[in-house]
Amino acid sequence: MVTTTLHTVRVTVNGVPREATVPVYRTLVDFLRYDLGLTGTKEACSVGVCGACTVLLNGRPVASCITLAVQADGAEITTIEGLADGERLHPLQQAFIECGGFQCGICTPGQIVAAKALLDANPHPTDDEIKEWMMGNLCRCTGYYQILDAIKRAAEVRG
Amino acid sequence: MHDFQFHTPSSLEEALTLLEEYGEDARPMAGGTALVVLMKQSLVSAGHLVSLARVPGLDAIQAEDHELHIGALVRHRDVETSPLVRGFAPFLCDVYRQVATVRIRNMATVGGGLAHADPAQDPPPAYMVLDARVRLVSRAGERVVPVRELFTDYYETVIQPGELLTEVIVPRPAPTAMFAYLKFLPRTEDDYATVAVAAKVERDGAICRNVRVALAAAGPTPIRATAVEQALEGQPATPALVRDAAEQVADQVDPLDDFRGSAAYKRDMAVVFTRRALMRVLGLSS
Amino acid sequence: MSEYGIGRPTPRVDGVEKVTGRARYAADIALPGTLWGKTLHSPYAHARIVRIDTSAARRLPGVHAVITGADTRDGGLWGRGVKDAPVLAYDRVRYAGERVAAVAAEDEDIAQRALDLIEVEYEELPAVFDPLEALRDDAPILHPDFNSYVGFRYKQERPSNIHHRTHLERGDVERGFAEADLIVANTYVTQRQSQGHLEPHSILVYIDPSDGRVHVWHCNKVPHFTRAALAHTAGIPEERIVFHPTYIGGDFGGKGNSRLTPIAYYLAKATGRPVRMISDYLEEFMAGNPRHHVIVRLKTGVKRDGTITAHQVEYIVNSGAYAAFKPYGTIGGANQAAGPYRIPNCRIDSVFVYTNNIPGGFVRAPGEPQGVFAIESHIDEIARRIGMDPAEFRMKNLIAEGEETPWGERLEHVRAREALQAALDAAGYHEPKPPYVGRGVAIGERGTGAGEGTSEIALYPDGRVVVGTPIFDQGTGQYTTIVQVAAQELGVPVERVRVEVWDTDAVPSDSGLAGSRGTYVNSTAAYEAAQEVKRALLRLAARELEWPVEALTYADGAVRRTDTGEAIAWQELVARAGEPVRGRAHVEVPRSHTTAFVAQVAEVAVDPETGEVKLQKFTTAHDAGTVVNPIGFHGQINGAIAMGIGYALMEEIKVEDGRVTTLSLGDYKMPTMRDMPPLTTVVLPSEHGDGPYHIRGIGEGPCTPVAPAIANAVADAVGVRIRDLPITAEKVYRALRQNDTTKG
Repeated sequence: MVTTTLHTVRVTVNGVPREATVPVYRTLVDFLRYDLGLTGTKEACSVGVCGACTVLLNGRPVASCITLAVQADGAEITTIEGLADGERLHPLQQAFIECGGFQCGICTPGQIVAAKALLDANPHPTDDEIKEWMMGNLCRCTGYYQILDAIKRAAEVRG
Repeated sequence: MHDFQFHTPSSLEEALTLLEEYGEDARPMAGGTALVVLMKQSLVSAGHLVSLARVPGLDAIQAEDHELHIGALVRHRDVETSPLVRGFAPFLCDVYRQVATVRIRNMATVGGGLAHADPAQDPPPAYMVLDARVRLVSRAGERVVPVRELFTDYYETVIQPGELLTEVIVPRPAPTAMFAYLKFLPRTEDDYATVAVAAKVERDGAICRNVRVALAAAGPTPIRATAVEQALEGQPATPALVRDAAEQVADQVDPLDDFRGSAAYKRDMAVVFTRRALMRVLGLSS
Repeated sequence: MSEYGIGRPTPRVDGVEKVTGRARYAADIALPGTLWGKTLHSPYAHARIVRIDTSAARRLPGVHAVITGADTRDGGLWGRGVKDAPVLAYDRVRYAGERVAAVAAEDEDIAQRALDLIEVEYEELPAVFDPLEALRDDAPILHPDFNSYVGFRYKQERPSNIHHRTHLERGDVERGFAEADLIVANTYVTQRQSQGHLEPHSILVYIDPSDGRVHVWHCNKVPHFTRAALAHTAGIPEERIVFHPTYIGGDFGGKGNSRLTPIAYYLAKATGRPVRMISDYLEEFMAGNPRHHVIVRLKTGVKRDGTITAHQVEYIVNSGAYAAFKPYGTIGGANQAAGPYRIPNCRIDSVFVYTNNIPGGFVRAPGEPQGVFAIESHIDEIARRIGMDPAEFRMKNLIAEGEETPWGERLEHVRAREALQAALDAAGYHEPKPPYVGRGVAIGERGTGAGEGTSEIALYPDGRVVVGTPIFDQGTGQYTTIVQVAAQELGVPVERVRVEVWDTDAVPSDSGLAGSRGTYVNSTAAYEAAQEVKRALLRLAARELEWPVEALTYADGAVRRTDTGEAIAWQELVARAGEPVRGRAHVEVPRSHTTAFVAQVAEVAVDPETGEVKLQKFTTAHDAGTVVNPIGFHGQINGAIAMGIGYALMEEIKVEDGRVTTLSLGDYKMPTMRDMPPLTTVVLPSEHGDGPYHIRGIGEGPCTPVAPAIANAVADAVGVRIRDLPITAEKVYRALRQNDTTKG
């Protein structure tokens, strides 16, 4: 007899209270994408290496593919969908567009969320600091140079 | 993933009771970064996960006169950035900074990492050269185990079912102590080490005292290179002595072939990096 | 730089969608009642399937269908141009990882549990993994019925594991070797590389019960080809199938491969529900279609003065168990292994061999990094053997305009020496170097791909300009390109132009994206569509305003009378007409002989105690036509170089007895932001190229010379020559220790 233990997980996502009742083994990325319909966060490597699934959990960038939804119960989560202010893009989003910091776009939500956490913690990072922080966000399209440019541009704009 | 019961005890007593009750079928869960990956790969199928997230008192860093206490649930990132740790043993901050990526460090915990016992991890050899100890608590009582005696095999420790690692205790380093940690990453910057060496020497003039050398990714557990230590202990530090002492590490390590290098290569690199770590600690150049 | 579009750094038109997370990829599409599909894979490299028992799986609550090869074999073998792969294995499996069954269930976890309940009894057969062993007379034959397969140009005279071979000979190679002062022979071996697209293969198939139409959302950049293949296998007319546009999360050759498509179709058919299949990354490694393992044997005769007298290539491709995952069953590289050099006597032989390994697929510039690694490493060795600087040797031997390549093609607009000189200058190639630092040079060339494309431009009464395209973009920026074209040709700001992506119903066929053809084909199609719409505007003005059509022209956003000087802005004209004005074009652009050279210099520092290779600097110089969008152009170069660095130094799908052992991105490492060296890019634009804007393809060329440039730099730094990729620290270390012992 195969059982499925269910939990009701309550979170605040991008400032909005959300909840869903899900199997206990539901990962946070699946919870966001399928149970809450927020498909902006992507899943790629599934083992926490590539960074495509990066979301902010209580302000900190984490790998949502190796976090259980139940671990996030009661937490505040920021996803890519929460960065723009209505139609006004976050400086990072604007900078990624201007500098060509993406091509296929699949890693982009994770890149931008991780970069937001960086600039929140360190508003004027050096190139080395950016590279160290962003090392965990893989990109196969851009070769990273334009992502680095975008993050530096956003840091300048934010002041 | 398979189904399981997810428990969220709100006291240490409750957590220990659950762990004792479910024995081998239970796993404590801290950050989950290692556990969830293993569960996804069906390498772990515990029927009960006991989350420690709501257990109070396990996530503090306390600096006393002679000892630093780091709670088991302290995140890697919090050790890395802690002013308390930096003031007490900045070496430890530098080592935690080199673990994986910032994303992993935000979730992975000190206790979870140690209990996971992957010999390629960075913190264990650092704790070994600091002569750190861990506190293991169960319903029956508690015991303090030196980190150098904690690991028994790949992914195995002396922690018994029903026991929880609650804190790491780090004695204050001597004022003359110098530390180094060298992590050899020939492939990519985001990787486990091919081999890594932590070293500490207390300088007494030219004489080396209380030498400690420990390696990661060099065997089934982190390795204390006692032969290297003995070769240097009480001796005046010279490049030639260091070179000879480092050679001793070849017989102390027992690495595996893996994607980061063959066993033979890792053995050779253990010698190279042991020498380099000691040279750095001693401020010598070859 | 023009005022409106072409040549301006243009932010991508899909930018807002992608940076906000609103861009939808195949895995993001939701339909009510969608089931999850998953596949079961063979653990054996070569085995007979004795028995498959799916009864327990079928009984599991939540399972809606379980299918095996028995259910799919009637549709015939799968493939685009060549068809040799069963949709699901029947009778036997030919590689560890081959798909033998599939389930559709309520959720992913139930699907996985169902897979665990399927019992398969295998009887192991002798397997062969090495292509040289597979060529032996006593090797097990993987495809005894090969001659009955559809699509192969090659026919076996007697049963073997060869599915393709080529032979090319020019001049008299034996005489050439006889004339040589020195003969250099070497073997180079390259590894399997994953495309590494971060979006795993994802598909959603829904068969509408009301009309039987098959709706597909798939990360597929050649949807028309895949539609045709699916129609063939499913035994239904193509028109019944429609592929809907989604964004594609990276391609690099892997998303022309539609290996999940027929499986998802059969599951959708069996269940009557939409079926979603998303490979996890484990599956991408374990059962993917990576860059081929190739053995390249080169033998070259030279004179002391550096003249090449003869060259011989043996190019042995380890195809894996099936050829179907390469669209036409072959990859390039054999010609590239002769290089763009003046070689009067040349023989090039290639052979493609079946082995019990995961089948190779298409990966960025298929075959070319293998061939270029070999020749560019080889050229360096030869130069050093005769005491010539490797750059000087190349300068002496590179072909010039009007000369033929060793394989007999007369390339046009050859600026090989210019590109090489530009790279050398920008890299400071001749500057003094500290010990253990080396510089290596390599050069490659690639033409622009060709194909079929369609575009339509519509001008609306409310002032909207919409460019329609059947292209499913995988990241290379085609939508932005056609917007730039429309803006350029119509004289409107790029911000005014919108893109409309069509589903596959819109056109009967299209070449999709591949082979560095995207910009050329689609800019040409958009250009022609723009000319059509301008002609339509002229005709409209003639009708509406009773102007003489022969006196009309279009410039700067308006229809103008050349006789009276009167003009009317297009917006006004179209608003007046009250209905949209359209121009549509279908183009089939041929492959030209225009090529583009890429010359690169790598500067490395090698740690002599550990063999670690650190990239200090990288320089790349490009002979180009018009650069349509500098942001996109540099983006393609940067990404290609990153992929080349991974290929050179760290990427390898490892295999043991046919089983892939690198099963995650923790095992298989691709470069991170921290691994990238400072990059200097030199662009040599020109007015020569293909299509109305004189462009050259850029997507693939820059990745091929990277590995040999690095190998040559390592040789320059510490005198060791690594002839098999990737160049790991351990290999360099072993070679250094060996050099130590030989020196005694």
